Amino acid sequence: MNESTQNPFASNSGYGEAPGFEETLRLIANLPAPQGLEERVQAGLLAQPRKGRILAWPAALKPDSNWMRSAAAAAIVFVVAGGGWGVYSHVRPPQSAGAMAMPAHAAEPGGFASAGAMRTPQALKGPVLAQPAAVKPAASSAKKALRRGKAARAGKTELAATTVK
Amino acid sequence: MEIPNSGVRDEARRHAEEEAVAALVIQYAATLYRVAFSILRNPSDAEDAVQEAFVRVLRHRETLDEVRDNRVWLIRIVWNIALDRKRRAKSRPETDDVAELARVLPSGGLSAEQIASAAQHHASVLACVEQLPAKEREVLMLSAFEELNSVEIASVLGISESSVRSRLFRARNLMAGLLDYARSLR
Repeated sequence: MNESTQNPFASNSGYGEAPGFEETLRLIANLPAPQGLEERVQAGLLAQPRKGRILAWPAALKPDSNWMRSAAAAAIVFVVAGGGWGVYSHVRPPQSAGAMAMPAHAAEPGGFASAGAMRTPQALKGPVLAQPAAVKPAASSAKKALRRGKAARAGKTELAATTVK
Repeated sequence: MEIPNSGVRDEARRHAEEEAVAALVIQYAATLYRVAFSILRNPSDAEDAVQEAFVRVLRHRETLDEVRDNRVWLIRIVWNIALDRKRRAKSRPETDDVAELARVLPSGGLSAEQIASAAQHHASVLACVEQLPAKEREVLMLSAFEELNSVEIASVLGISESSVRSRLFRARNLMAGLLDYARSLR
């Protein structure tokens, strides 16, 4: 035995002489077993009920048989592969980017129905062109010049300009 | 035919396992009894603990091949059973009184007066042991078994070897203090 792993209680382990209390514990630890202990324990073990099974596995289907393991492994592979195929076959290809799907109108439970009415967003108004002012003939502009001259003479230039309009 | 062959094989295997358990009983029953007695301090309780330990072994006999050290494994089983029993029977008075100790502990060549005095001393020591914290008490009690080294004690308790040594150091100091105090009261 390795010196370092010796029982530290032992008197030759370098821990010095055992104190009085250790003597008591050692006495208890070294008590002789009662006579016939082994026989009584053996008898008790024999009296134990055997591990019985009401329904035993048939020998061919025992869980530790090799072909049963293979069959179980094959079943697991089949289930995994079948599940993968099921997922793959139900996946739809993604829609093209140009088309926008209209969200389906789901009927609200317990609420009022929309009677098939669909809300259409209000379109934005386009730019409105301003109407150009109507151009008057040249004769009228000559008459205007004459009137302006008269007004200037009368000292009412500003007032005349407003009245022309 | 398949079914009878496998049935015979099972029966033979079970028989071999029971033989192995029987061999363990012969080899280690006395050791387990002493371990159980050091905790329970009652002969019949200790024997019951040993019985229960071997019943557990019998139930798990399929795992016997995986056990590295049968002795430490069995001591660990009976140690846990005895601790559990002691915890459950906390209310019951222990039989570690003076008369019981005088009857159980060896007293070779001592007079009746000396036997009574020794039993008194043992009783006071055991009363002090009971006052120790559980961790220190367990290490101290297991250390009394000379057939267990510190590695095996650590394995039984599920702690490291250095923990065994430090706990034992604390336990010895505490015990010295408790015994001094008990002596001063007399």
